[in-house]
Amino acid sequence: MAAILVVDDELEVGEAIQRVLERAGFTVVVTNSADAALQALEGHQPDIVVTDVIMPKVHGLELIRIVRGQYPRVRVVAISGGGSFGPLAYKPDAISTHAYLAGAREAGADEVLTKPFDMGDLLATIRRLLPN
Amino acid sequence: MDRLINSLRVRLIGVVLVIHAALVPLLYLGVSVIIQEGYAELFVNSVRSFSKLTADELEASGEREFEQRAAALLDGAMLTGQVVFSEITDGQHKVHSSLAIDAAPVPRADDFDFGDHGDQVYYITHRIKRGDRSIMLRLGFDEGPTLERIVGAKRRVLLAVLTFTFVSIAVSIWLSAVIARPMVRLQEAAKRVAGGDVHAHLEMNSSIREVQDLTHHLESMREKLVGANDRLASEIREREVSERKRLDLERQLLHRERIATIGTLAGGVAHEFNNILTPILLYSQVALDDTPPDSAVAKDLTRIVAAAHRARSLVARILTFSRQMDVPQTSVFPLRPTVEEALALLRAIVPANIDIVFDPSEDDSMISGDASLIHQVIINLCTNGYQSMRRTGGTLAVRLGVAENPTVPQLDPGKYAMLEVGDSGHGMDPAVMAHIFEPFFTTRGVGEGTGLGLSVVHGIVTSMGGSITVESTIGSGSTFRVYLPAATRTLLEGEPASG
Repeated sequence: MAAILVVDDELEVGEAIQRVLERAGFTVVVTNSADAALQALEGHQPDIVVTDVIMPKVHGLELIRIVRGQYPRVRVVAISGGGSFGPLAYKPDAISTHAYLAGAREAGADEVLTKPFDMGDLLATIRRLLPN
Repeated sequence: MDRLINSLRVRLIGVVLVIHAALVPLLYLGVSVIIQEGYAELFVNSVRSFSKLTADELEASGEREFEQRAAALLDGAMLTGQVVFSEITDGQHKVHSSLAIDAAPVPRADDFDFGDHGDQVYYITHRIKRGDRSIMLRLGFDEGPTLERIVGAKRRVLLAVLTFTFVSIAVSIWLSAVIARPMVRLQEAAKRVAGGDVHAHLEMNSSIREVQDLTHHLESMREKLVGANDRLASEIREREVSERKRLDLERQLLHRERIATIGTLAGGVAHEFNNILTPILLYSQVALDDTPPDSAVAKDLTRIVAAAHRARSLVARILTFSRQMDVPQTSVFPLRPTVEEALALLRAIVPANIDIVFDPSEDDSMISGDASLIHQVIINLCTNGYQSMRRTGGTLAVRLGVAENPTVPQLDPGKYAMLEVGDSGHGMDPAVMAHIFEPFFTTRGVGEGTGLGLSVVHGIVTSMGGSITVESTIGSGSTFRVYLPAATRTLLEGEPASG
């Protein structure tokens, strides 16, 4: 079964995603920062990274770029609930979820999901990214 | 009284009177003295030569015939009427004596003073030598006729002097009037100018050069003052207009800032809620999946999922709102759906006694700008309209149309989308109508209206290159018309709402 790394500064959110994915049979590691995620990427060799976009310190978009550069085979799903947080540089034209997710796509995310998403949507997105 | 004394006319006349009072008596007295002395000299000369002649005649007569000769001479002299007394004495012996006047006393000595003593007689004594004797001839001449002539001459001089005085005073009165009249007229004109009629010309048909010059200078001064005044007034007007514009901008900016703050806040809240909703939705869906579908727990969980979905769409709407309220989103969009959206919102808040009637245009106009601002224009105009008929109820008529080259001030010719909002409320009088687009102008009580609604509408419409007009009739309602430049149909795809 595929291994999935979940990154979200809100632990509740990460654990909920973990619950859904583990129940579906995936191996899941949850971290609450981009730094921890980079270590986990070394240690756990995940197939898919599910990451929040708006996070303190290292931004989700930054993480996506690093993953794209260092682990080209790892698939990335960006998740965001929008809002007016984060540095203005990540607020291209408006404080909309769409803008963040568009930024995530630009940074190299394979799929994007708007928080809050349904269990079915999450699983369908993950399955699309896996071979066969 | 002081005013009268200080007036030019009275001064002029006063000076003339003073000059006359000082000089006329002197003149009269001088002429009188000359007359008196002249007549006296004539009289004295003539009587002296007459008495000398008589004395010489007597001296030359012989001894024998002396007495007859003397009597004849003296009687003759008496007959002229000029001599009223004659006497010849030889020592103590009175040779001859005649007296024409009864009561006149005869003085012992000679009287050489003319007109003196009140006896009106001038006495002269001559010594006539006859051998070794001295015979005295004494004659008295009547001064009366001469004195009468003097009085007559003096009277004529007085008359002439008085006539001259009167004529000269009359002329001075007339002259003073002639000099003062243009001054008075000039003064009246100046009074009119001072009273506010600054365009009253200072004209003067005087032939006096000084007055003409004065009038000319005053008139050019008035013209300069009027010019300066006009310039000042227009400068003040310009200042007021720019000040109003500045306030308007400031207020719009403030409004924008506030709305942006609300948007940011809403965005932050939405982000938090989305994070909270994610585990709620995921856990309840996992739980639902693990529960037999017909169980009561499954039903409960289904409700939780449904509620979470509703919460999600609410947050999505808040985010849409906060995005709208953010920096202006300029796009080309059709007017009609925007109006419909706003009206849908309004129907929820307008009381039941007010009908909203919407008459969309057949030609669906596109306009360029920020749709959220148009939203605000409609909401503000409709709110204003329904508040005017809140008590009575009525109809809020919203109509869309197209105007080609509308005859509205400050609009360039061209095609405009027209949005009309009419109410059947109480209407406005012209005094109120003149101020409705001014910030903080409100006819409502404290706490009922901010007085910003219509000024915001005006600011938005103007910033979009449009214009707003209003018509109103007391008792039958008001109609606002917003003209917005129509955009060419090049629709930029707006980003889809998140959710």
